Amino acid sequence: MTEPWWISLLKAFLIVNLLLGLFAYLTLVERKVMGRMQLRYGPNRAGKFGLLQPIADLVKLVRKEAFAPSGAIDIPYIVAPIISAFTAIAAFSVIPWGPGWTVNGWRIDGEVANVSIGLLLVFALGSLGIYGFIVGGWASESKFSILGTMRTCAQLVSYEVSLALSVLGVVLLGRSLNLPEIVHRQGELLPFVAPQFVGMLVFFIAGIAETSRAPFDLPEAEQELVAGYHTEYSGMRWGLFQMAEYINMITLSGLMVTLFFAGWHGPWNLGPIWFLLKMAAVLFAFIWLRTTLPRLRYDQLMRFGWKVLLPVATINAVVTAALVVAFG
Amino acid sequence: MLAISAGGGLVWAVWAIAAFACLASSVAVVSFANPFYSALALIGNLGSLAVMYLLVSAEFVAAAQVLVYAGAVMVMFLFVIAYVGPRREAPWAGGPSWQTLGAVLAAGALLVEIVVAIGLSAGGRLSRSEHVNATFGSPEWIGRLFLTDHLLAFEITSIVLLVAAVGGVILGSHTRRQDSGAAPQDAEPRRERDLEAVR
Repeated sequence: MTEPWWISLLKAFLIVNLLLGLFAYLTLVERKVMGRMQLRYGPNRAGKFGLLQPIADLVKLVRKEAFAPSGAIDIPYIVAPIISAFTAIAAFSVIPWGPGWTVNGWRIDGEVANVSIGLLLVFALGSLGIYGFIVGGWASESKFSILGTMRTCAQLVSYEVSLALSVLGVVLLGRSLNLPEIVHRQGELLPFVAPQFVGMLVFFIAGIAETSRAPFDLPEAEQELVAGYHTEYSGMRWGLFQMAEYINMITLSGLMVTLFFAGWHGPWNLGPIWFLLKMAAVLFAFIWLRTTLPRLRYDQLMRFGWKVLLPVATINAVVTAALVVAFG
Repeated sequence: MLAISAGGGLVWAVWAIAAFACLASSVAVVSFANPFYSALALIGNLGSLAVMYLLVSAEFVAAAQVLVYAGAVMVMFLFVIAYVGPRREAPWAGGPSWQTLGAVLAAGALLVEIVVAIGLSAGGRLSRSEHVNATFGSPEWIGRLFLTDHLLAFEITSIVLLVAAVGGVILGSHTRRQDSGAAPQDAEPRRERDLEAVR
């Protein structure tokens, strides 16, 4: 039974808004958790426990003057953050967050779009999202921006290879590129984190680099580059870049839960609640790492990506393939 | 499969938009004077081609096209152009010249050739829709074809890529040695010397 189109539409609307809400409160959670880890309170003035802080931030960003440098090239400068935000939001659509239900005879799927090559789609949209950073930095007419763009570019391209190779083992075990199917198979067998622990580690590390989070936040190293590719952006245009970064982080956590931690599977059939809890745990790990580890130097970053992460991911994929052929 | 079951009108609309975008972006690639815009137009062209692949149930090829060409390869193009290319040039500068005329004639000849070739080989089959089975265009099916029917081409391609990778490494290491001599061993004392000088 397929889903009627109006349910798909409603669901898409709902998920996009939930995702944006999640992004807004992720910024608050990050500041709160970081504050606690650094022995301070974090935001606590807007509303109780600072709960209105994201809304205050949004109002500030929207009302701020969106100036552009006089040398900026108009159309690419304006379109760049839109590309980044769009691809980030679109990528979440294939992540399954529930088993799917039948209510009053209407079928409701547990994901916005069930695509046969869902995993590839996430990577394809991720690689298109880079263009927002490149075009934005290039169009800003600023040395800091262009340097930040170059770093972003080199880093994302380098770690994308390891990221794609690290999921190969999961694809071999799950025998599909379709994310709901991979989750189903983990429900039948076991979460793939057990046979693919190395793959999970590589995926997590490469994922941190892909989302430019500390300790891999070289694209926006404040001491060297002011803010990297978005140096010359202000107001909500800057907000869109920030949104893209955080939503990429959410999508990556969702993908990690889907691929390695059996997605929405868990005791007592809680479905989406399990998905959210697992995703929150991964996001917490992201924030934890940011407060714990110092930033890498650029040559360390490149050496680690190409000489450690890539060989490990390759060996993991080859060994998994051999084992699957031998025992599968 | 998705596109075929979604109804004829929608398919036609998407096809028309993708085909127009494909043509417009390919014209833009060759007519823009600023290479940065040409590269952006090429990304658009690859993207609209991917949509066309989707319409003929080749989802895997579409995703691979976006991932490999529109994603990885074009990032490298833009990377280099953003480094060394001109920035302030307008996207459009240049009028008709003998090159344009030659290009238009060659493109027209190619179009006629393609239409004739397809028309001769397809016969009457173009006017009715073909039945497509469920495995068509799936990753499993393409993988099987690569390792059976097209094994030789597949392996030769991998050797070409390997040679390119080795060549890249040789070029890179060669220039580095020329530039800074025995840089790794020398770096530490030199930094100390610099510090001395500052003091």
